Amino acid sequence: MKHVIIGAGVAGTEAAKTIRGLDENAGILLISADTQIHSRCMLHKFIGGERDEKSLNFTEDDFFEKYRVDWEKGVRVVEVCPGEKEIHLDTGEKVGYDRLLIANGADSCIPPVGDLRKASNVYGLRNLSDAQDIVKEAEEAENVLIIGSGLVGLDAAYGLLERGRRVTIVEMAPQILPVQLDAHGAQSYQELFEKAGVRFLLGRRASEAQCGEDGRIHEVVLDNGEKAACDMIVVAAGVRASTGYLEGSGIMCERGVCVDSYLQTNQPDIYAAGDITGLSGIWPNAADQGRVAGKNMCGLKTEYADRFAIKNTINFFGLLSLCVGRICEEEGDEIQVREDKEHYKRVILRDGKVEGILLQGDISHAGTWQYLIKNHIDIRGTGKDIFKINYADFYQVGDGGKYEWAI
Amino acid sequence: MNQCYGCTTCKSADKPLEGFIAGLPMETSHHRVEGQSTKCAFGLQGVCCRLCANGPCRITPEAPRGICGADADTIVARNFLRAVASGSGCYIHVVENTALNVKNVAKSKGEIKGPDTLNRLAAIFGIEEEDIHRRAEAVADAVLKDLYLPEYEKMQLTEKMAYAPRYKKWKELGILPGGAKSEVFHGVVKCSTNLNSDPVNMLLDCLKLGISTGIYGLVLTNLLNDVVLGEPEIRFAPVGLRVIDPDYINIMITGHQHSMFTFLQDRLTDEDVVKKAEKAGAKGFKLVGCTCVGQDLQLRGAHYEDIFDGHAGNNYTSEAILATGGIDAVISEFNCTLPGIEPICDELKIKQICIDNVAKKANAELKEFDFENRPAVTEEIIDEVVAAYSARRGSVPMNLMKEHGYDNTLTGVSEISLKKFLGGSWKPLIDLIVSGDIKGVAGVVGCSNLTAGGHDVLTVDLVKELIAKDIIVLTAGCSSGGIENCGLMTPEAAKYAGPKLRAVCESLGIPPVLNFGPCLAIGRLEIVATELAEELGVDLPQLPLVLSAAQWLEEQALADGCYGLSLGLPLHLGLPPFMTGSKVAVKVLTEDMKELTGGQVIINPDAKESAKILEEIILEKRRGLQI
Amino acid sequence: MKRIMIDYEKCDGCKNCSAACMQAHRETPGTIYDLDLTDPKNESRNFILKDAEGHYKPLFCRHCADPECVKSCMSGALRKDAESGHVFYDETRCGSCFMCVMNCPFGVLKPDQVTKSKVIKCDFCVNAGGEPSCVASCPKKAIYVEEV
Repeated sequence: MKHVIIGAGVAGTEAAKTIRGLDENAGILLISADTQIHSRCMLHKFIGGERDEKSLNFTEDDFFEKYRVDWEKGVRVVEVCPGEKEIHLDTGEKVGYDRLLIANGADSCIPPVGDLRKASNVYGLRNLSDAQDIVKEAEEAENVLIIGSGLVGLDAAYGLLERGRRVTIVEMAPQILPVQLDAHGAQSYQELFEKAGVRFLLGRRASEAQCGEDGRIHEVVLDNGEKAACDMIVVAAGVRASTGYLEGSGIMCERGVCVDSYLQTNQPDIYAAGDITGLSGIWPNAADQGRVAGKNMCGLKTEYADRFAIKNTINFFGLLSLCVGRICEEEGDEIQVREDKEHYKRVILRDGKVEGILLQGDISHAGTWQYLIKNHIDIRGTGKDIFKINYADFYQVGDGGKYEWAI
Repeated sequence: MNQCYGCTTCKSADKPLEGFIAGLPMETSHHRVEGQSTKCAFGLQGVCCRLCANGPCRITPEAPRGICGADADTIVARNFLRAVASGSGCYIHVVENTALNVKNVAKSKGEIKGPDTLNRLAAIFGIEEEDIHRRAEAVADAVLKDLYLPEYEKMQLTEKMAYAPRYKKWKELGILPGGAKSEVFHGVVKCSTNLNSDPVNMLLDCLKLGISTGIYGLVLTNLLNDVVLGEPEIRFAPVGLRVIDPDYINIMITGHQHSMFTFLQDRLTDEDVVKKAEKAGAKGFKLVGCTCVGQDLQLRGAHYEDIFDGHAGNNYTSEAILATGGIDAVISEFNCTLPGIEPICDELKIKQICIDNVAKKANAELKEFDFENRPAVTEEIIDEVVAAYSARRGSVPMNLMKEHGYDNTLTGVSEISLKKFLGGSWKPLIDLIVSGDIKGVAGVVGCSNLTAGGHDVLTVDLVKELIAKDIIVLTAGCSSGGIENCGLMTPEAAKYAGPKLRAVCESLGIPPVLNFGPCLAIGRLEIVATELAEELGVDLPQLPLVLSAAQWLEEQALADGCYGLSLGLPLHLGLPPFMTGSKVAVKVLTEDMKELTGGQVIINPDAKESAKILEEIILEKRRGLQI
Repeated sequence: MKRIMIDYEKCDGCKNCSAACMQAHRETPGTIYDLDLTDPKNESRNFILKDAEGHYKPLFCRHCADPECVKSCMSGALRKDAESGHVFYDETRCGSCFMCVMNCPFGVLKPDQVTKSKVIKCDFCVNAGGEPSCVASCPKKAIYVEEV
């Protein structure tokens, strides 16, 4: 059985490991544009100079030998032919497969504003190559404009601050980290970034960005007419599933590659996992999808069940936050807030169940919240202050000393 | 499988004893060490506070203060002051009873066995009474008067008893004690809930309690006892389990208040009482020494050769002594009477009698021994002991250990007898110190515990290390009992000493370790030190003298230790006294104390390392004296 | 795999396991007597929780068969060791994202107090011969090691 995996992110590598675990004799070929296995969650550490390329690797050092995986790196797939059960590479090579996993992720989405898409000093931050380009450009650039203040935008800012750059961030929403945090929680990070020298332009969008004769953008005009001078631009305005090469293949795509609950596409023997499916954009879920797809590719029918994806941790300047579940208040919600000098906690309750939690300052032992939210567990029975609930309230030791849930 | 109760007994320095205990069919404290080997770290460091209903509060990095706000320093200092006050209370109880006994003996015109000591005390106190009994009564009254003073009135005898430079230092530091009983009261109040939170202030109180404990509880207790019980005389005596003679009705004595036994002790050799024993089938009565009161009898043994069989062992040997089967009754008047002897007494039908209610044991009979009723109480006790003998002998198996211990152990050493031995002057000793034949003096005092390596393990190892470095060792307390049962107090032990000390010992026919007797005799060591300092014209901290309570056990030992510190002496402890959780307390005791009193605490559980540290201090002091 | 088994009804909440854990993982040499109980760098990897009735519920890493912490680790710092079955943490690889903290359903994990850059994670005292110090220190034998 020959398994071909497109993409060397966590979905692809986890799938490869899973396949090897299930099938000693399988052929496994990993094909990626990336030439280095790297964790994109650590790209800011690369930009900041804290880590080199090698130390971004999230797999075992001997991953390819240990799991006997062949790797064609620096190569792009240009076409998938489900009928022929083969794929075409940009090298001209054609590779046959018995099972194919599409796990090549997503690309930065550059909005069609002015010359953003064509200027030579505009970067996304998605892959190691992006980070390498940013570092190179930042050697010369003094003023950096970042569009978007989500986790990627702030990652870029954090790394560039480490390099002593002057950073301005434009954000459409009236607060930073609008997806992850409420305004109050976001304020703490805003202050920390401002203290480090970042200027925020909130509630603003870029409306004009013209290239100069050198092909570079030197100034962005905002929707209020304000001008922001810049030597380079990092766009962190979201990602788009990287499905361009699948056009015409017969593989159905919408926001991403469409998959059933076994992560199979509409084409036989072709599966998809990770960001390219558009199911979620977070690491643990991409990894999980890789493992589920791997099992199904080996004939071990496994449903992708844990789809809970509204969860994030944030760590900037040593200020930690954890946000799981819903952050935005809706009608009928009960909101409880606890705040002190070093902590901010906010929980959204509905019918005795926790819909969402935000913890800032201390996230110790907070893993329990995800379980409670994801599984819609009624916490009224605990008889405790909501913020004091912990695993002790559901504590049960089962066979072999496993922890279980007494619900 | 055999009959042994358990094979996980702790180590002993005394190997035959270790084997004996391991082979016993009943549980002893040595068996329980393992079960208690998990110690609460918060307790060990002294940062567990149970002073209020909010507690127990424990200090952790996430919770650096108790609910009330007390930090580790406050909690540790409060706990320590409480322990020291308690320990002081114990010794003050002993001196109070001792002084009352002298007073009662004097009033009833009883025998004054130590007229020299009486005259010495009367001279120091400024008492000029012609009549010996009136003189004795006045001396006792002077002590009692001080003990009962309020806290705000300084005790009168402190200045008279203390070495002048020390008194001056204490006055400077503001730690001259008021009435000794009131000081205990004051200390207990100070460390109660939400009162004092100043660790240094509380530690200074500990020094103050150390002074009242030392001068009254230790020094004066000894001297008052010398007045009525007789002065120590240097002699050789047997020690260990071998002293138990099954032909007699044997009474093991435990505690610290020798004066409480004297009436009974004298009666036991009276003809009518011996007849009672003979009628029951025994040759007579014998007292078997155990714990410090046994040491005290041994010390004064020259006066009690008929009744006292010898010292069998210290606190953690008491269970083994009973387990020989040769003991028919235990009479106790104070600590260190372990609760663990009770089931053994039950099993071996040993009668337990307590004569001071502060030390009432759960299954013992309390027979309060007040002065007026003592003839009647004594008769009751004798009859009950005889009854116990009759009931148990024959039905209880004997498990004697005649080969345990040594016959020729040097004892009877005191500030007086030692000076006499040296020809009436300290000069010979000073000369030996100056010449370097004796490098220095180490007082190895205090208890035995089972956790600093095992029973007497650190004490004995440390003594061996010290004498090998030509440092002469003087002992007092249960340490004496352990060291003598290991043979280090026989003249033959000179071979363990370094070449210079060995030569000194061999020429004098003495061991390199001299036994001053019970823990109370720490006061005698202090007299020796003071007299040496006086002769040299220096203050105590300048002497090449160190103290070690290597295996301190009790709160009393902590009060003793505070006395040592107030005297400005370096004090080694094998285990920290539940204080290491406080950086302030540790710094005050181990560093700042050098500036305050000249003393310092050294904590080290390793014999070799400890001996090296103590030797260094001695050498430094020698350099200070340019010798 | 060896696991620390928990007989939670025996737990008295003395926290000796926590002190032993701090001692086992302290940076400086020394004994339990001089373990600095006020230094936030000394952190325990185990915790005694209490339920609403005040019953003690000891929280010790299970080194799960299917460890959520490992599955969520984006740096490769957390790995399940094939040989021992234990989940080991390599501080030098850690990217300090704390997704492991978020994903451990039992709330065993926490970020370190001082630097907020490491995860406080049981290592089964592997450097001390794999005999967990907490187990050795429990006066109630409420925790013990068993092959599962």
